[in-house]
Amino acid sequence: MMFRFNSHPFSRIMVVAIATTSLIISSCAPAEVNENTEQTENTEQVDGSAVTTEGSQSLIYVSNYPLQYFSERIGGDQVKVELPVPGDIDPAFWEPSADELAQLQTAELIVLNGATYEKWLQTASLPQAKTLDTANLFQDRWLSIKEVVTHQHGPEGEHSHEGTAFTTWVDPTLAIEQAAVIRDRMTTQFPDQADLFATNYKALEQDLTTIDEQLATLVVDSADQKQPLLASHPVYDYLAARYGLNLRSVLWEPETFPDEDQWAELESMLAEHPAEWMIWEGDPLPESVERLRQLGIESVVFDPAGNVPEEGDFLTVMQSNVENLSPVFAE
Amino acid sequence: MNGMKASFFLAWKYLSFNKLRTTILIACVTLVGALPLSLNLLLSASERELMARAETTPLVVGAKGSDLDLAINSLYFTTVPPEPITMAEVTQIQTSGLAIAIPLHTQFQARNFPIIGTTLDYLDLRQLTVAAGRNFSILGETVLGADVAATLNLKPGDTLVSSPESVFDFGGVYPLKMNVVGVLEKSYTADDNAVFVDIKTAWVIQGLGHGHQDLAQPEDSDVVLEQNDNVVTANANLTQYNQIDADNLASFHFHGSTDTFPLTAVIAVPQDDKSAAILRGRYEVSEASSQIIQPASVIEELLLEIFKVRNILNLVFVLVSVATVVALILVFNLSLRLRQREMETNFKLGCCRSMIIRLVTAEIATILVVSLGCSLVITAGTGVFKDRITRTMLS
Repeated sequence: MMFRFNSHPFSRIMVVAIATTSLIISSCAPAEVNENTEQTENTEQVDGSAVTTEGSQSLIYVSNYPLQYFSERIGGDQVKVELPVPGDIDPAFWEPSADELAQLQTAELIVLNGATYEKWLQTASLPQAKTLDTANLFQDRWLSIKEVVTHQHGPEGEHSHEGTAFTTWVDPTLAIEQAAVIRDRMTTQFPDQADLFATNYKALEQDLTTIDEQLATLVVDSADQKQPLLASHPVYDYLAARYGLNLRSVLWEPETFPDEDQWAELESMLAEHPAEWMIWEGDPLPESVERLRQLGIESVVFDPAGNVPEEGDFLTVMQSNVENLSPVFAE
Repeated sequence: MNGMKASFFLAWKYLSFNKLRTTILIACVTLVGALPLSLNLLLSASERELMARAETTPLVVGAKGSDLDLAINSLYFTTVPPEPITMAEVTQIQTSGLAIAIPLHTQFQARNFPIIGTTLDYLDLRQLTVAAGRNFSILGETVLGADVAATLNLKPGDTLVSSPESVFDFGGVYPLKMNVVGVLEKSYTADDNAVFVDIKTAWVIQGLGHGHQDLAQPEDSDVVLEQNDNVVTANANLTQYNQIDADNLASFHFHGSTDTFPLTAVIAVPQDDKSAAILRGRYEVSEASSQIIQPASVIEELLLEIFKVRNILNLVFVLVSVATVVALILVFNLSLRLRQREMETNFKLGCCRSMIIRLVTAEIATILVVSLGCSLVITAGTGVFKDRITRTMLS
């Protein structure tokens, strides 16, 4: 068959070209779908609910010991809870370095006390999606501190207690609420272990409720509930609010003997607030105890357990606190 | 079969002898084939790339006004920042539990690169990882996009000074010397050209937070203008720190509630579709002072407008292709006329007419097949590198 130069070859070539084009374009289409799927999957990881590597513990950083205790009780062996604050520093006045903060950023969850407890947050960068403020839900019940004085003790340097009272967990009912927030977040973040977290939380709630009942029985049922009391440091506001204590605070440190100005300030306070008991954060110096006794004031320890206790755990410390308070309300 | 083989052999020899003419013909046909295909691939990739960034930004909250400006500024940091909203929006969204709220503050620049005040969640959202150094962790630290670091030749340990908003801004805020602590991996997005700082650092640059010597115990008593019981008033001699380091970090503070501090926008990453719908509903009410947008919808609308140009381009390519094919037919025709005497000689040597036709056809077929091969190679190459090419062009 004869064929002409100007028609058939080009028609064939055009057909081949069109077919090839269709093939190329159609081969690109599935790739598009895959890439979009990939993007959707990636987005899901942004909400902070990244599930931990299977079989390994989830790393949780906390900002004080009570939160460490609550997290460990609720999370059990599914979580590894780290308190980055050295043992000799009050976590409320800890100032993390840039490297320590970089370490915190690696956690899967950062549990904060809130209620302005972590002053360092003002200058720190933390991923909000991984950060949990345990006191945010009861913001309407935060207490403010009226007496503001700057003072210095321990290696953390000068500080003051102005603004909001932040030792929330000394009220066991608030501690229960904080623990519930931790349980809820752990359940959201690691849903596979929801049952474990619920069971562990129930046990913790029961223990804290027992402490609350013991304190309520001791204080509220006592005829001495409204007796004037002194606190060596303004860290018992929530305890006082919960049990209706008539409490006023000075700014004394257990390990430091107060100077004469502080004694004078105390005597002036006693004139309008005739307390017979002073509640200390830790064991006071014997000479402080003796001089207080001369003023008719006995000493008793209620350890807020902000940092890891030397002996026992949060619960045993709180039980000791209840026992320590017994003589105060037994008269 | 042997006759066909011989025809193609002779055609190949002829084309090899006329290298320049053959090369020009192959180049023309290749371009006609490869250009529309490659450009279509690149346009599709660009469209997808633009949509991908928008799609990974589920919702954006910003001041009421142009949703396009808000979307473009939040995604690419290129336009003039929209009217500010306050940090209270972040608190509100975060407290609602419906979404994770990521603040964006894009008002300032450092050596012509936008300073993005945000939280570390933004880097997680965009899956930006640190190539050198670490993430910002305290006030005054910055992490640079890959192109910023390369252009300004900066690395961890160096410093970068924020630029004043205007050279005539004599009464404005002091520039902040930021400490470079990290450089991000190249992402081929707008993030490569950004300077990332914590949102609080952006507020320090704005003058809402500052650090200075302790006024209760000043090193220079001349800086104290007046001192009452709890109030110390300083005069203009009080030096404010323009670089934040471990020694003066504790002195940095903010005046007022951070909930009142400004933001350009908030990226909201909802927990699920239901949360997204509830959140959007809250901003739909007419008295809301802010608006919530879905960047994907906004960019999709924009692309629909922009890619109408694609139809014009396609039409142009069809016309050019037709013109080229006509030109090629003309070239082949002219070529055959020029080779009339050569063909007559072949005929006199004993070649039948069909053999001559086969020879010419083999030449044309060879040119077309080689051109088609080149077109496919170019198109395939474009297909393989389309994402990188478009990302480079877009970033």
